[in-house]
Amino acid sequence: MRRPVVMAFLALIVTTPKAHSQDIGIAIERRLAESARLVVGDTVRVATDTGLGARAIVRAIYEPAPDPATIMRRDYHVRFELADLASLLGQPDRVDRFGVVLQAGIDPDTAAARLDRTAFGFSVFSSERIAAGSSTTFLVVSRFHRAIAVISIIASAIFLLCLMLLKVEERRADVAVLRLTGISRRTVFISLVIEAAVIALVGSALGVVMAAGASALTNWHYQGAFETSLHFSIMTLSTIAFAVALSVTLGIVAGAAAAWRLVGTPPMILWRRG
Amino acid sequence: MNWRWALRDLARHRLRTALSLAGIAVAAALLLDMMMLSGGLERSFEKLLLSRGYQLRVTPKGTLPFDTEATMGGASDLVARIRAEPGVAEAGAMLATSVHALAGAARRSLVAYGVDPTAQGFYVLETGTDLDPSHPDAILLGLPAAAIVGARIGDTVEIAGRLDPQVGVASGTRRMVVRGTARFLYDARDQPSVAVTLGTAQALAGRSARDRASVIMVRVGDDSAAASVAGHLRERIPEVGVSSIGEMVVQFRTRLSYFRQLSLILGLIALVVTVLLVGTLLAITVNEQIGVIATLRAIGVARRSVFLYVMQQGLALTVVGSAAGLVLGIITARWLDAILTSFPGLPASISFFVAEPGSLLRAAVVLLITGVIAGLPPSWRAMHAPVAATLRSDAL
Repeated sequence: MRRPVVMAFLALIVTTPKAHSQDIGIAIERRLAESARLVVGDTVRVATDTGLGARAIVRAIYEPAPDPATIMRRDYHVRFELADLASLLGQPDRVDRFGVVLQAGIDPDTAAARLDRTAFGFSVFSSERIAAGSSTTFLVVSRFHRAIAVISIIASAIFLLCLMLLKVEERRADVAVLRLTGISRRTVFISLVIEAAVIALVGSALGVVMAAGASALTNWHYQGAFETSLHFSIMTLSTIAFAVALSVTLGIVAGAAAAWRLVGTPPMILWRRG
Repeated sequence: MNWRWALRDLARHRLRTALSLAGIAVAAALLLDMMMLSGGLERSFEKLLLSRGYQLRVTPKGTLPFDTEATMGGASDLVARIRAEPGVAEAGAMLATSVHALAGAARRSLVAYGVDPTAQGFYVLETGTDLDPSHPDAILLGLPAAAIVGARIGDTVEIAGRLDPQVGVASGTRRMVVRGTARFLYDARDQPSVAVTLGTAQALAGRSARDRASVIMVRVGDDSAAASVAGHLRERIPEVGVSSIGEMVVQFRTRLSYFRQLSLILGLIALVVTVLLVGTLLAITVNEQIGVIATLRAIGVARRSVFLYVMQQGLALTVVGSAAGLVLGIITARWLDAILTSFPGLPASISFFVAEPGSLLRAAVVLLITGVIAGLPPSWRAMHAPVAATLRSDAL
């Protein structure tokens, strides 16, 4: 067993920079250092909510690993030697959790179940179970995003169908002239579908560029707001492929449906002379 | 030229009108959902906080209620000092701790709220009898706790405050009588909670919890004086944090700013889609009918009538599409709310999408304005179409 952990809520007060041999050493995260204007070597007073306190020297400033689970809380973190924190809390030889490294080939769930039966007072979880539990929030957000995406796709599909229909119908007079000059229905139909496909492709390409811009803007804004290197918006090839395929398909289908109606209408009626 | 003509013209082009209406309806639904999301969560949270009439919360300095496991010492003295302050009608301390229900070798983890039964805002009694300070061994069970413990009113349950892994036994064990069931206001769905008296919870939590509290709820006699009483308490008791409902809502809003921003962006996109749909449809309609419009102008129909005719078509599309969209929006809001309220740890009574007459009205007005704006350019073009030139080109 290794890496026992104690977590606590502490107050931190900047004091005189005069160090004593009994002072404890702490590491503080960069955000806190910037906010409290602390540098390595500064002396601070750390205290628990029960009033117990101790003087501490800032030994290091660290950048914590980006963690989406805690990003909204914006809490400041300080790291202690385990014995120092336990002593500060007045709870020597107590920890919140242990990390356990298993020998190669041992199934984590089996080991967790066996350890769990050895005594009560603690619960044992495999890393996978903890990951599954702590990622529930993100699973919910992901499901919400999917639901919004479904609504957006329906809205944009209808929008696209409507636009393509209107766009092709706008060509009534042109189609009438082409038909009256002897161009076959097939040729007119194919040309209208090609036109619809080109519009859909160009529109999709513009959409991808706009989405890339929006994605970059989103990351720039939130990375600055939360002072993190996490990515809030990621454009994957599969997302792009899905969006382009959907819009091009819808564009062609809508264009073909409208073109079919147009070529099936007598040219004189299209020209409003029928 | 009147509404009937405008509607008849829309009906002549069924497919395009139907598609436009469907597009506007989905965009309107999205807009309504986003309007409900942008403020619904805050209103829902505020309603929850005020549900028992306590306007202030006193917590360990630098924390919010239920945000950390930090507690305040000298709770009984703190409560007495708060009660003595002018304007304070009632104050009650609460200690939250985890306990274990024992049944033979089995143990079930529960969340215990230790409260002062005469001043608590954490639960509503559903059946049985409320806690009584003179009965420290009484316990109230929430329905999830009653289900996992398998106890009913009148049963005795064995509750352990601590489980010591070193000696392998439970300590601080008490036999407690179930007096009733309660609905816990701040609990997540299926959270197994119980309520006991404050002293019992402190005893179960052990020596380190003696006379400690997680939060003190304060009721101010006059609602309008809550902010000034909060300020006064901060001055008089600087060692603790005092939060009013408004301040907690602001903190909550900051943490969930993502949803506000998302709702703003998606709401704007919905509006743009509506403008484009209505605008494009009307532009093409005007293009198609430019000859008819020019003829009408030539025989003396006023420009104003032409303008109104196109605007009426736009408004008809917007009103019908929006009405369908508002119904669709309420249905999709329930679906989206069911997804978001499955957030772990979120109080079961919180809603993200709150359908209020105000939200519906705002969405309807915004959509109406959008329809008018979208109809203006094509209406303007129809009104100013050059009569002679249009008639000549249309005749060719």
